[in-house]
Amino acid sequence: MAELSFNVNHGYLEGLVRGMKAGILTRTDYHNLAQCDTLEDMKLHLQTTDYGKMLSSSEEDLTVSMVDSKLRENLLTEFSCLRSNALPPLSTFLDYITYSYMIDNVVMLITGALKQRDVAELLPRCHPLGAFDQMAAVGIARTPTELYSAILVDTPLAQFFQDAVSESNLDEMEAEILRSKLFKAYLESFHSFCKTIGGDTKDIMCPVLEFEADRRAFIITVNSFGTDLSCTDRSALYPSCGKLYPEGLCLLARAEDHEQVKAVANCYPAYKIIFDDPEPGSGFKTLEDRFFEQEVKLNTLAFLQQFHFGVFYSYIKLKEQESRNIVWIAECVTQRQKSKIHNYIPIFQLN
Amino acid sequence: MGVSELEDSSRLLDEKLLLFMDQLALLEEKRATLNSLIEQGWFSMSKARYSMGNKHVSALQYASEIEPLVSVHARTLDNGEVDFCTERVKQKCSNEAGKDARLIEDIGPQEEGVRRRIKPKKDITEKDAREEASSEKVPEVTPVRKGDQNPQQDPLKWFGILVPQSLKQAQSSFKQVIELSAEIATLQTAVLNTRQELKHSMKDKHILQEEASAAQLDKEAD
Repeated sequence: MAELSFNVNHGYLEGLVRGMKAGILTRTDYHNLAQCDTLEDMKLHLQTTDYGKMLSSSEEDLTVSMVDSKLRENLLTEFSCLRSNALPPLSTFLDYITYSYMIDNVVMLITGALKQRDVAELLPRCHPLGAFDQMAAVGIARTPTELYSAILVDTPLAQFFQDAVSESNLDEMEAEILRSKLFKAYLESFHSFCKTIGGDTKDIMCPVLEFEADRRAFIITVNSFGTDLSCTDRSALYPSCGKLYPEGLCLLARAEDHEQVKAVANCYPAYKIIFDDPEPGSGFKTLEDRFFEQEVKLNTLAFLQQFHFGVFYSYIKLKEQESRNIVWIAECVTQRQKSKIHNYIPIFQLN
Repeated sequence: MGVSELEDSSRLLDEKLLLFMDQLALLEEKRATLNSLIEQGWFSMSKARYSMGNKHVSALQYASEIEPLVSVHARTLDNGEVDFCTERVKQKCSNEAGKDARLIEDIGPQEEGVRRRIKPKKDITEKDAREEASSEKVPEVTPVRKGDQNPQQDPLKWFGILVPQSLKQAQSSFKQVIELSAEIATLQTAVLNTRQELKHSMKDKHILQEEASAAQLDKEAD
């Protein structure tokens, strides 16, 4: 039934996002970019793509960090165009997408304040998609409870604070725990929202969000080896809306080295491939790389169906991967590490 | 007599020359290792930026006043060479840190050991930055710290608790770089020293050669 009524409210925006999707860089574009010797060459090549004059407008010297900021601004422009014309429930859906950036910004502001960094220095570096009014005040909070009650209570992030409130001082460990707990609550909330929408949105979005939940569980576990984060603390950070819940998460909470994590992954066919040893001859890929690849595969599937909200989420995530690719190529070019330049993940293979 | 002195002098010169060549070869090797470790370190940081986000591994993550974890001691030996060795500041136990906390006094940039050098390359940071080779001995200054800060923190924690492998690899590369740069500095002074000795030996040998040829002419004249 969605086919009959979807276009009334959301047809224009779906058309818009599919148009924007056509501008995603192709293999040829990446090939050209990888041939460049300087950032100026890359700028010239990007002018022939949908990015156009994005990099030409600034007066300062071209650096990799600047390229990254411009790519973000570009994404913000496209997103604002979509959000400003959206009606409920698409507007709520698009807002959900921004909450993950807000959480990252909050944690960056807190850790910046711990290092006595000036707010004026930190604000421009925050992700523009996650901007909210009370951002400048975030650095003042000493504990998560203070952060919630004084600053974030009127923001959309307030709903994710149930488990995250605590009286302990906000140091690096607490900031990390806060980030993970907020993200867990956010992911579970987003997952149940997509379930309530139902239809194709649920069919496309729920697997994507389940993958995200499981990915976080794996990455938190692997990165916590050798740190002060204990197993019990760790298990409180795992989102429970994924395939790993509940047995996989129990096993992961008890894992103490990489081999045990791999054993858990082997029980799930989708994750077994990610943790498998690479074929001989292919370049070495980090765990994060493999998860990014899988994420891209899942997100491209969204465009095979119409009349659902998944295309909006997938478009944002694919553009993010594209930014990561371009910045990676830029870093390889500036550091003259051409051998690793092809470690980017091309997005639509059959273009 | 003159001949055997000349022979000895030549032998000494040969030995010195071989030593010089060996030292130069070792120096080149160490420099090459240093360069590749530094490149590796920067590249691992780029990989970490790829996973974590570009702005999460940048100048925002460290404070503008930092205390070094490694200090360099320079010691002049009898033969004129300077020996550089690195020393990691030991982790202080918590009650000692508590005692120091009473001396809270913000005296501005702290002069303990050698200041960290931050490479002004875009806005990328270098943890455990390289110190310059020619530093003085660490002065015995009681470290003054702000109250509730943990003074001996692993710089890796500045970027978060759950950092990816690539960032840890970058840190270990840069740690090796520090050790290596002290060795290279020592080796450089040794090389210069050997070069000086080589020059002196060469001069001595020329003098002996002239004496020997003068003695020879005298003999023939007789």
